[in-house]
Amino acid sequence: MRVSLFVTCLADQLWPAAARGAVQVLRRMGCAVEFDERQTCCGQPAFNTGYRPEACALARRLIEIFESSDADAIVSPSGSCTAMLHHYEQLFEDPGWRARARAVAERTHELSAFLVNRLGVDDVGASFRGRLTWHDACHGLRDLKIKDEPRRLLRRVRGVELVELPPPGAETCCGFGGTFSVKYPEISVAILDEKVDAIDRAGVDAVVSGDASCLMQIGGRLSRRGSAVRALHLAEVLASTA
Amino acid sequence: MSFDRDARAALADGQLRGALRHATTLFGERRRAAIAEVPDWEGARDRARAIKDETLLHLDRYLEQFAANAERAGAQVHWARDAAQACDIIAGIAARRGARTVVKSKSMASEEIHLNAALAARGIAPVETDLGEYIVQLAGEEPSHIVVPAIHKTKGQIAALFAEKLGMEPSDDVAKLAAAARQALRRRFAEADLGVSGVNFAVAETGTILILENEGNARLTTSLPRTHVALMGIEKVIPRFADLEVFLRLLPRSGTGQALTAYQSLLTGTKRHPADEGPEELHIVLLDNGRSRMLASPVTRQTLACIRCGACLNACPVYRQIGGHAYGSVYPGPIGAVLTPQLLGMGESAELPYASSLCGACRDVCPVKIDIPAVLLHLRAQAVARGGSTGTRALLERLAFASYAAVMARPRLFGWLMACARRLHIVPPLGAWTKWRDLRPLAPRSFRDEWRAGLRHEGGR
Amino acid sequence: MRSEDARREILSAIRENLKPRGIAPGSAVGSTGSADPGPATEGPQGPRKSFRAARGSKERGDVVSSFTERLAAVGAQCTVVRGEAEAAGALAGILSGAGARRVVGSDAPLVQRLLRPLRDRFEMAALDRLSRDDLFACDVGVTTAQWGIAETGTLVLESARERSRLLSLVPPIHVALLSTRCICESLGDGLAHVRQADSHAITFITGPSRTSDIELTLVVGVHGPQTVHVLLLEDL
Repeated sequence: MRVSLFVTCLADQLWPAAARGAVQVLRRMGCAVEFDERQTCCGQPAFNTGYRPEACALARRLIEIFESSDADAIVSPSGSCTAMLHHYEQLFEDPGWRARARAVAERTHELSAFLVNRLGVDDVGASFRGRLTWHDACHGLRDLKIKDEPRRLLRRVRGVELVELPPPGAETCCGFGGTFSVKYPEISVAILDEKVDAIDRAGVDAVVSGDASCLMQIGGRLSRRGSAVRALHLAEVLASTA
Repeated sequence: MSFDRDARAALADGQLRGALRHATTLFGERRRAAIAEVPDWEGARDRARAIKDETLLHLDRYLEQFAANAERAGAQVHWARDAAQACDIIAGIAARRGARTVVKSKSMASEEIHLNAALAARGIAPVETDLGEYIVQLAGEEPSHIVVPAIHKTKGQIAALFAEKLGMEPSDDVAKLAAAARQALRRRFAEADLGVSGVNFAVAETGTILILENEGNARLTTSLPRTHVALMGIEKVIPRFADLEVFLRLLPRSGTGQALTAYQSLLTGTKRHPADEGPEELHIVLLDNGRSRMLASPVTRQTLACIRCGACLNACPVYRQIGGHAYGSVYPGPIGAVLTPQLLGMGESAELPYASSLCGACRDVCPVKIDIPAVLLHLRAQAVARGGSTGTRALLERLAFASYAAVMARPRLFGWLMACARRLHIVPPLGAWTKWRDLRPLAPRSFRDEWRAGLRHEGGR
Repeated sequence: MRSEDARREILSAIRENLKPRGIAPGSAVGSTGSADPGPATEGPQGPRKSFRAARGSKERGDVVSSFTERLAAVGAQCTVVRGEAEAAGALAGILSGAGARRVVGSDAPLVQRLLRPLRDRFEMAALDRLSRDDLFACDVGVTTAQWGIAETGTLVLESARERSRLLSLVPPIHVALLSTRCICESLGDGLAHVRQADSHAITFITGPSRTSDIELTLVVGVHGPQTVHVLLLEDL
């Protein structure tokens, strides 16, 4: 199977271990991975802040880039960016662009959903020693309905003890919300602290998620609070053979 | 309105935050238990939303049908374009009917139009009879939650309030406090000339209005006084009597986790014989106040499907931290963040659509499946397109997004700029981030650097 | 602006805003996919049928026991009796057990029949000669209920059939007589029964009055009755 990587600008520049990990896991599962270097950003920050024309321009660009690939699937280590791409259709009035957006979206999958639902695997041959808890990133959870897949994958990693986050729970927002995190930082951090308190109570070595944005938010507060708990991307754990 | 300032004040109030945490958690648990009892909850949501969509698409027809049937049954139907007109109508009714004492049951629409102030200006002081509303009225405050308006007050605070205003022996026995309110209000019910209520649903087919409640104050308000005024937003109408079933199944479970509230009053016109129980006159006031505008697009139209259950408030991570007062209007929480800007105009409430992390928890719990994040995004796009906001912050933001768009369209420029930032250790001045969170630096090598340096060629591992 | 003018303006504004104007950016529907649904969806039969189909129709005895279970769950009392004689005895027991002194019954013939023999034990006033002050001084209001709804433990009172609106509301104790024959399964059934009735006031009562407005602590008996006692009559 040939996979074209939708790396996401955040993973590319700030969390390359997530993208690298995704490539390694996909190759381990027998996929050939391509990367089109023309890609930059899916436009989500612009779209979420209300800058539609800018978001549309970037959407058209990304659609064209992925159309030019005849890979079997486009895979991304980010639920929110995958959800954004699935949302592209609604950005356009023109039926031609809507159809093109729909066609690209049908081929685009978030990493854990791709592994479990398309490749049909949950054991990716990984090992990682540690007590972990999972944070459900909102767009992946609610837009893409990703909930079981990452948990199934993590439970099959040798050496991992996976625990569910105590209340307010794995499904509660981390408070990032893109520009919300800097427009309303006090509220963002108030929401975040409830999550970090729960992570503390869980007594884990690391919190894992499928979105680098959440990991930046959670990890940034964990370290500021002097916690030893690490923030890891799912792909990093799945790629690990330590 | 200053959402920012009020939100910060709320965050600093430890007692408020504890109360909000407790209330929203409890309501969430009760809701989950209640909806588990319904065999096809999702089907019920779909049906209810379909009924609302159908109604809104033909709102003029259904309103006319409702008005005709209500009038045929003896009600007098009034139409109010805006808040001021609605207040005039109600004040006029009170004057014509010689009403000096007015009791009110829960009506968010009446707070939206500032009815109490308008009546007070004409020498009539309506008494709120819903316990939570009574408490906030005595305290001179605004409600902070759709279903439990006084959730921000402790029993100690209420005890002090009742001691001061009712001359009650201070006691934080909740049953005693409720009993004190009951006693104080019974006289008012007995003497009231006019009762003002809200309306939960208005049935076009029969001209019936339905009012839900737990305390019994709405029943008293609508059955004892000679005159009953029922105020409703035009979006409250539903087509058929039988449609009530699905909404009665959804609303109480979503709002409080009850299968049904203690009372539903289904009122159709006036009594058939003078000797019957109930008011002599029923006046139904249909309120537009900006609602008709929302019909213009399918995205905004769904705002009007809201049945005011409060489930979105209880699910919202933002509301949970700041409560209702910060939203600066009678409608708080996620629905408030989309309804208030559309009723009042974005100029006054421009901050509200941005006060959300877009997590979507509200959409998950809404019994009529309103896609609140979609409406928030629509309002944000409108705010930017209209270019209304001035000031340095707004200007800088536009500049930032213009640069971002230009750079992201040019991958080589993007790569080069990132490489420069990397080499020169440039850190963006994001004080709003770094005051509370460490900022992750740019990775020493980006993914595309690694790819070019050899990752592209490595085989499967 | 007069109400007639406002009516015209509002209806006109509605029609104007509903006119299709082509799809504007951002006007595409949200993820629930609810675009214009076209013709009327659920007719009057729709919701009721699907709910019953999902739960399966119940046997008579099951309906009655569902009802009594639900009554208990919502905090209402219930006594089951067979025939009027037993009902009269049970009613007397309920009234004295509650320490009632002033009792008022509705104009339902059954209520009048059951209360007549108790005139020497309790102060009773006639509903049509009751002042407002007297009403508020009552301890117990006795009425019948036209229907019971098993799904929710709800009593249904119809103003066209009986003057029970205030008696079921003002006194702190409400005793309601209900025939087991009149218990239906679902909310939809209940609504269908009253649909034809042309009452100007139909009241659904589910348990005693309550509030959680103070610190979310439940208090039973706020403005409405604190006690609801259902006297369930079999084979009447």
